[in-house]
Amino acid sequence: MAGLTRTAGAFAVTPHKISVCILLQIYAPSAQMSLPFPFSSVAQHNRLGLYLLSLTKSCDDIFEPKLEELINQLREVGEEMDAWLTDHLTNRFSALASPDDLLNFFNDMRGILGSLDSGVVQDDQIILDPNSNLGMFVRRCILAFNLLSFEGVCHLFSSIEDYCKEAHSSSAQFDASNTNLESLTQYDQMDMENYAMDKATEEIEFQKSASGIVPFHLHTPESLFKATEGLLHTRKETSRTSKKDTEATPVARASSSTLEDTLVDETLFLRTNLQIQGFLMEQADAIETHGSSSSFSSSSIESFLEQLQNLAPELHRVHFLRYLNKLHSDDYFAALDNLLRYFDYSAGTEGFDLVPPSTGCSMYGRYEIALLCLGMMHFRFGHPNLALEVLTEAVRVSQQLSNDTCLAYTLAAMSNLLSEMGIASTTCVLGSSYSPVTSTASSLSVQQRVYILLKESLRRADSLKLRRLVASNHLAMAKFELMHVQRPLLSFGPKASTRHKTCPVSVCKEIRLGAHLISDFSSESSTMTIDGSLSSAWLKDLQKPWGPPVISQDSGSRKSSTFFQFCDHLVSIPGSVAQLIGASYLLRATSWELFGSAPMARMNTLVYATLFGDSSSSSDAELAYLKLIQHLALYKGYKDAFAALKIAEEKFLTVSKSKILLLKLQILHERALHCGNLQLAQRICNELGGLASTAMGVDMELKVEASLREARTLLAAKQYSQAANVAHSLFCTCHKFNLQIEKASVLLLLAEIHKKSGNAVLGLPYALASISFCQSFNLDLLKASATLTLAELWLGLGSNHAKRALDLLHGAFPMILGHGGLELRARAYIFEANCYLSDPSLSVSTDSDTVLDSLRQASDELQALEYHELAAEASYLMAMVYDKLGQLDEREEAASLFKMHIIALENPQGVEQNMA
Amino acid sequence: MVSKDSCRNEIRAAIRQLTDRCLYSAAKWAGEQLVGIEQDPSNFTPANTRFQRGSSSIRRRFSTNESISTPLPSIGFSQAATPLPEEDEAIDGDFYLLAKSYFDCREYRRASHVLRDQVSKKSVFLRYYALYLAGEKRKEEEMIELEGPLGKSDAINRELVSLERDLSALRRTGAIDSFGLYLYGVVLKEKGNESLARASLVESVNSYPWNWSAWSELQSLCTSIEILNSLNLNNHWMKEFFLGNAYQELRMHTESLAKYEYLQGIFSFSNYIQAQTAKAQYSLREFDQVEIMFEELLRNDPYRVEDMDLYSNVLYAKEACAALSYLAHKVFSTDKYRPESCCIIGNYYSLKGQHEKAVMYFRRALKLNKKYLSAWTLMGHEYVEMKNTPAAIDAYRRAVDINPCDYRAWYGLGQAYEMMGMPFYALHYFRKSIFFLPNDSRLWIAMAKCYQTEQLYMLEEAIKCYKRAVNCTDTEGIALNQLAKLHQKLGRNEEAAFYFEKDLERMDAEGLEGPNMFEALVFLATHFKTHKKFEEAEVYCTRLLDYSGPEKEKAKSLLRGIRMAQTGFPSMDLEHFPI
Repeated sequence: MAGLTRTAGAFAVTPHKISVCILLQIYAPSAQMSLPFPFSSVAQHNRLGLYLLSLTKSCDDIFEPKLEELINQLREVGEEMDAWLTDHLTNRFSALASPDDLLNFFNDMRGILGSLDSGVVQDDQIILDPNSNLGMFVRRCILAFNLLSFEGVCHLFSSIEDYCKEAHSSSAQFDASNTNLESLTQYDQMDMENYAMDKATEEIEFQKSASGIVPFHLHTPESLFKATEGLLHTRKETSRTSKKDTEATPVARASSSTLEDTLVDETLFLRTNLQIQGFLMEQADAIETHGSSSSFSSSSIESFLEQLQNLAPELHRVHFLRYLNKLHSDDYFAALDNLLRYFDYSAGTEGFDLVPPSTGCSMYGRYEIALLCLGMMHFRFGHPNLALEVLTEAVRVSQQLSNDTCLAYTLAAMSNLLSEMGIASTTCVLGSSYSPVTSTASSLSVQQRVYILLKESLRRADSLKLRRLVASNHLAMAKFELMHVQRPLLSFGPKASTRHKTCPVSVCKEIRLGAHLISDFSSESSTMTIDGSLSSAWLKDLQKPWGPPVISQDSGSRKSSTFFQFCDHLVSIPGSVAQLIGASYLLRATSWELFGSAPMARMNTLVYATLFGDSSSSSDAELAYLKLIQHLALYKGYKDAFAALKIAEEKFLTVSKSKILLLKLQILHERALHCGNLQLAQRICNELGGLASTAMGVDMELKVEASLREARTLLAAKQYSQAANVAHSLFCTCHKFNLQIEKASVLLLLAEIHKKSGNAVLGLPYALASISFCQSFNLDLLKASATLTLAELWLGLGSNHAKRALDLLHGAFPMILGHGGLELRARAYIFEANCYLSDPSLSVSTDSDTVLDSLRQASDELQALEYHELAAEASYLMAMVYDKLGQLDEREEAASLFKMHIIALENPQGVEQNMA
Repeated sequence: MVSKDSCRNEIRAAIRQLTDRCLYSAAKWAGEQLVGIEQDPSNFTPANTRFQRGSSSIRRRFSTNESISTPLPSIGFSQAATPLPEEDEAIDGDFYLLAKSYFDCREYRRASHVLRDQVSKKSVFLRYYALYLAGEKRKEEEMIELEGPLGKSDAINRELVSLERDLSALRRTGAIDSFGLYLYGVVLKEKGNESLARASLVESVNSYPWNWSAWSELQSLCTSIEILNSLNLNNHWMKEFFLGNAYQELRMHTESLAKYEYLQGIFSFSNYIQAQTAKAQYSLREFDQVEIMFEELLRNDPYRVEDMDLYSNVLYAKEACAALSYLAHKVFSTDKYRPESCCIIGNYYSLKGQHEKAVMYFRRALKLNKKYLSAWTLMGHEYVEMKNTPAAIDAYRRAVDINPCDYRAWYGLGQAYEMMGMPFYALHYFRKSIFFLPNDSRLWIAMAKCYQTEQLYMLEEAIKCYKRAVNCTDTEGIALNQLAKLHQKLGRNEEAAFYFEKDLERMDAEGLEGPNMFEALVFLATHFKTHKKFEEAEVYCTRLLDYSGPEKEKAKSLLRGIRMAQTGFPSMDLEHFPI
């Protein structure tokens, strides 16, 4: 039914709108004068105008403010004349004694509008242009009122009564507390009546002086006098009643609270449709930004949405918000239910502004968008196969209905799904479904399929000018380029390239293309800006302190600052764009991390955290924190990392699917390994494994991480064959799910295992394979550490290879020292010393400094890491060198250090205390 | 033990009391039950016989309770005899009389004003009741006046607050009677305080069980069997009525039928019981029986509109155009502004294929009652016929949101999405619908078809669904045939043969013939031949010979092949040679 009765612009006359109209009458009285009565300066007048403008556009809440709130705001805007304004407002309301008065009121409103063909306008006349924002508002109000039936007028009238009554019931505390914050301290001692008198006479004087300044007012002295008298009178009146009220407050409160419970539904009025839509958009952003973190409770928004739904059952977007809310609080069934309900009601035609409404097929609805959303929901909840099935259907339906926009988005979502989820082979899922896009790719590997989907989506998005999608596709492409060797799709024929390498240049290119969005965006800002969010920002600004309450005539400087603020809002970037650009920085950071430039990675993460922290979604922000903490752990040691982790934990632990816990476990594990507390390390490994979902193909990253760490723990426990087994099976998994980068590190681990087991010959091929993997993926840092391992292996073959090992090490030294973490550097230094010592051609007595230098460096760096094993080795070597040099004191010192580390290593329980 | 006489006396007194308190619909209901009891032989006058139905022969046909005329044997539990409350004043006050006449003229506010200072319980109740109704009336009006563009219709009964306050005060002081408790329950229910409302209503019906309105309010608050079982109700024959109704709403049709059967022993001529029985039978899809019951009902009570929409559904299902038009005409002339009437007319137009008009009448029905569930669903069906899927989906969704157990609407949603080529999306809705009615083969078949679509082609799942359909006694015989075909398609000839045989059995039992039969025979003949079970193959071939057409030729060539194989000729596929 609603499919037919749905109307676009809802504009009903409400008490709040009448308040605005009254204020507009004050702002632009029909009488001819350049500056109407209560205003003392043009700036003040303009201020009210701006305020009114923002009132007509604002949507900081969907519900219209109550009279009390409005008066509070007026206080901030109106400054000296606030009392006059509020009194005028309440007087006008109390003057409305019968429905007939309303009729007259709206007739009067007509007077403040200029004629449409405003040819002759005197300079000093304030006239509302009927086509201006305010003019349109007045016209709409008048029209809406004229359309009302008599019953409607009666309802409006009774709701005005409620509106005023509520303000009055709360005016007790309000008069006492809000009016004069500065006098609050003396409030008890003060005689209310005298105070009010003083205040009122002050105001009269002020107004007199004001009228002195502005000579125009002099021609209406009588009315002015009356007004001030009236003011005096009402002031007395209110002060008296307020005193009475303050005494009776507890009783009145008690009785009115029950009353309010029942009235609360009636006194709420919704703003206009457009404003509601804007507000809901903001809320959706907020849900994403905050996730389900503690500061943002999902139950509160749920109850709010329920209320909204009661007020506007035909506003279907509410269901979508509910879906979002449930999605972020991980409630699968409720999310699914609300998603389906939303699309059943709205047919996908409501709310998706990115889709131009004119592109036909509105008759059939846009249910393909429902499929797209459902697919993404399944993806988020970790049902890759379901998601793939649904997205395939989305592709099919959007092809049938030739909805290219949706198709582009769906393809992007699909490629994202395929690249994120570990799907070993898609044939089992996709084989059954026929679809031109997917069927061409049926014989291809997952990677190639992702590539094709991305290309396809990019092409469509480009031709449809979907800027945001283009940008995010570029980012996805960059990610793809980063992670996968670019292979020609048809790898036969003479020209088939045999070079298997990732190309950092193309990664960089894609990232940059993605970041172009921001420049693109500024040219089309007008179409993308949500009217509502903008104007509510204005309103918030108005509520900020406006500087000193005294209005100086030369307020040029302040004006410019407020102007700047407004401009700031005008070009402000929508959250989605900011998010995408932020994501590009994160991707940059990740790519630098992989390519092995620690400073660049850190810098990009910092840029992200400082610039995009506010607008980012909670998961992105969490990732940035994660990277920074990891960096700290690697380069600054554990103490700093744990301190930072504590901060991040407070912020993100409540977020669903928080990675913070994972990070904590990782760091703890690392530290346990270093301290030699293997039992703890094993326990943490098991916990890590427990975090991952049991479903196939989900949480691949986590699973790989868990088994990698398990292998390392086994290695540390000197159970070489088990460690090798785990590493082998891990390699197989990586191969199956095409995790190339992980393969390189697994190979390195295998080399490491063979090295430790004293089987250097077996280790060599693994190290070499790892190096070649690193080369093809441009993983420079990993390659450096693989080279170090290779050198160690060579040395393990015998001291006659020391020279070769040293050469290898020196080749990798720039990378290691420039970008490597503490552990890697220490290892390199110790190894260097080892090489020198085992080189028969080198005599310690003559060249001791080279050896000692590197050993000293190593032990410094190991201090922060608490890596006892290596530290012991370093002190041992040092002691040996000193022994040879005959420096006995130093030798004793080094020896005692060695002893200390060994004791700590053998007795890890002492360290464990401060770990948990 | 309930005797008819005691029932009769109780009801007679109750009607008077209910009418005094202007609880008219409860009085009406009680009156119906009163004449539903077999007439007293003492005042058995010829004038009464007109109301006494002589056509109990039809009922006997369906009734298992053959001893209608004998007094009811004692039932397992002892009925607590609830004494009729004494009226607190012998003579009604003048103000009360005035107020009642105002009330009867529907001037509720005036009536309650007249009673403002009265203290007798009857007057107090009437005052609050009138106030409540005044608020309700205003609410209805406001609902229309306040209808906003976003559908805002939060009109509330403005008297509820004061009513709740006063009634709870009365209850605290104990000055409330069972009628007051009923009103208090209603008020609480509207305020959303369901558990308290339930408690109040239970208290009310326990002290005064003859108020059917209280029972039906209580029933609407029993949304699950757990809630129903947790109620602490005194035993009384009215409780049986309540349970029958409640079971029906909870889709426990057989239990409900049992209750009604028992009640029919006393109230053998009650229209209400007959209509309720018909409703339950309708849910069990016994259309023929339901039709007869409704026919009889209409004969006895020709101006009845209640429940007639159900009758029209039956007529629709049986495609009885003439009867449906007759019914529509009759209810239209009785009361055209009843949602049921509009629904019947909508059904008629739908049967005639005039879907726009049908939609118009369903729309009118919904205007009269926004929560009229079946009208939403039926409107959805119409939109599906008109190929306006978004509107259909909207209508179905509204039905589902009013009552999430409405399996028809869920099914409709699934169908609509399947029509749009979104079978995977539709599956969710089919699943929902099956969840509420797991024993309906039609739903399983629909789901299986969904799996079978070329987009999904998930045959294994389809097979599972068809198997469920077979277990639910699929009357149309689609499932067996499909199962056989699917197995054949998947190359599982053994299973295919099994299901073809079963299908054949079914068709034989029902005396059906058709292409399915040929198909089954041909498959079975070839199947058994390839497996060298020549005797069986021959049986099927000879059956095929009874029919003309290409199948006969096929059968002949098959037979020839069998002979050759049997006589030990080198196996030559003679079928390929045209003879």
